[in-house]
Amino acid sequence: MLRLEHVTKLYPTSVRPALDDVSMDVDRGEFVFLIGPSGSGKSTLLRLLLREESPSSGNVFVANWNVARLPNRKVPKLRQRMGCVFQDFRLLGDRTVAENVAFALEVTGKSDHTIRTVVPEMLELVGLDGKGERMPAELSGGEAQRVAIARALANRPLVLLADEPTGNLDPETSDDIMLLLDRINRTGTTVVMATHDRQIVDAMRRRVVELHLGKLARDDARGVYGATR
Amino acid sequence: MNGLAFVWREALAGLRRNVTMSIAMMLTTAISLGMLGAGLLAVRTIDRTQDLYYSQLAVQVALDEPTSAGDQDCTSPTCTGLRGELTADPLVAAVSYESRDQAYQRFLRIYAGQSILQLVRPQSLPATLRVTLKDPTRGDAIVSEYSGRPGVRNVVDQRALVQDLFTFLGSVRNAAFGLAGIQALAALLLISNTIQVSAFTRRTEVGIMRLVGATRWYTQVPFLIEAVITGVVGALLATGGLVLGKLFFIDRLLGGRLISNAIPAVGMSDVLLFVAPLLVVVGAAIATATGYVTLRLYVRN
Repeated sequence: MLRLEHVTKLYPTSVRPALDDVSMDVDRGEFVFLIGPSGSGKSTLLRLLLREESPSSGNVFVANWNVARLPNRKVPKLRQRMGCVFQDFRLLGDRTVAENVAFALEVTGKSDHTIRTVVPEMLELVGLDGKGERMPAELSGGEAQRVAIARALANRPLVLLADEPTGNLDPETSDDIMLLLDRINRTGTTVVMATHDRQIVDAMRRRVVELHLGKLARDDARGVYGATR
Repeated sequence: MNGLAFVWREALAGLRRNVTMSIAMMLTTAISLGMLGAGLLAVRTIDRTQDLYYSQLAVQVALDEPTSAGDQDCTSPTCTGLRGELTADPLVAAVSYESRDQAYQRFLRIYAGQSILQLVRPQSLPATLRVTLKDPTRGDAIVSEYSGRPGVRNVVDQRALVQDLFTFLGSVRNAAFGLAGIQALAALLLISNTIQVSAFTRRTEVGIMRLVGATRWYTQVPFLIEAVITGVVGALLATGGLVLGKLFFIDRLLGGRLISNAIPAVGMSDVLLFVAPLLVVVGAAIATATGYVTLRLYVRN
């Protein structure tokens, strides 16, 4: 599903590469934790998968796309098959919960009919049925992240990329979000989650890929957070 | 189509959000296009005036006193000789003869009832050969060729007499185009700046659009439509301004007794059918081009 081949990414403003000869494979339906301290290259890796950046050398594949060589006009197609959630939720404050989810469908050209069916379905999936008319400011952090997840799933992505999705949430709420991500993963969606949260990683016992100073430091099939420390 | 409704809604929202900037942008565009329109009207008027004059203008070869006094129908050797030479000249389209008596009759007709008639006798008017040219701008060649020839009193190119008028109209046109250019630059910069501000205000929205895989149609076309609306509204305002200018300024100026027959009037159809469509097209095209370049240079797709 995802494949990195000897990927190196150098930013013009830095001497040390953000990613240094990283190779890895993620199969369809896997759940992968991407861990490592700040600046270890986790976010860069996610940005390369989304074609927010292109690698300095090496290849990035998502499904059948050679991401780095994808012509600009095909990048939207790639991103429609990748869902994204972030630490800061990135909801539109002037739209309701339902409108935020509908937005992802609207701007990718889905019909009104599709929007009317998919939005309630997604809200139900993330446990927010009945809250479609709320404004983002009225939501708790956990609820806001659920809206973001519903929006990310609306276009039925092959892969869900989550960049510190529990970073702004208290432990109980984080556990709820992890249960939700786990459930989504069990329906066949590949999940790649960058995190700092030791408890979550240790509790889930899923594949752990650790980056350190841009290099692949560890890749355990059923890892814990602190194995090498 | 869903997408069309979306970009249209977003464009209008964008204009509303920066309403003061939008108004400034439209007014600047309107003034620029208004100047351009005024220049175009001036060009059209100049062309028409030239047509009007050049069809009537001629080079007049006035004959000297002895020839004028004796010759009723260009039968004297001097006159026949000049006429033959002129007719054979490749620059010349036609030559006609006006005797002293005919000139006096014409004079009486033109100045009927005016006191200048008391001062003029047939003897003060020369007989003339009226020469119409194939190319009215080549009168100077005839003037230099025939001035001072035996039997010729003087040679006058009538076109030179009205040249001052055309010079004046030409400078009106140049001034209008010059101001239009400066204003157009201001309008371009304002449009470009407004699009950047607009894109900045909507960066969260556009960021999310990009992440969920929205195509450029959704991320960029709303900004372009904002620009085009500005251009078209500016053109409409400019047209309104030109209509008012025609009714309250040009009509009064050209309607005066002195020049009412000298310069053809500017018609309402000139403003509405000739200039207005051009302004709309130019306004929309310039706004689109500016928007496109701005998005390319300053806004990530």
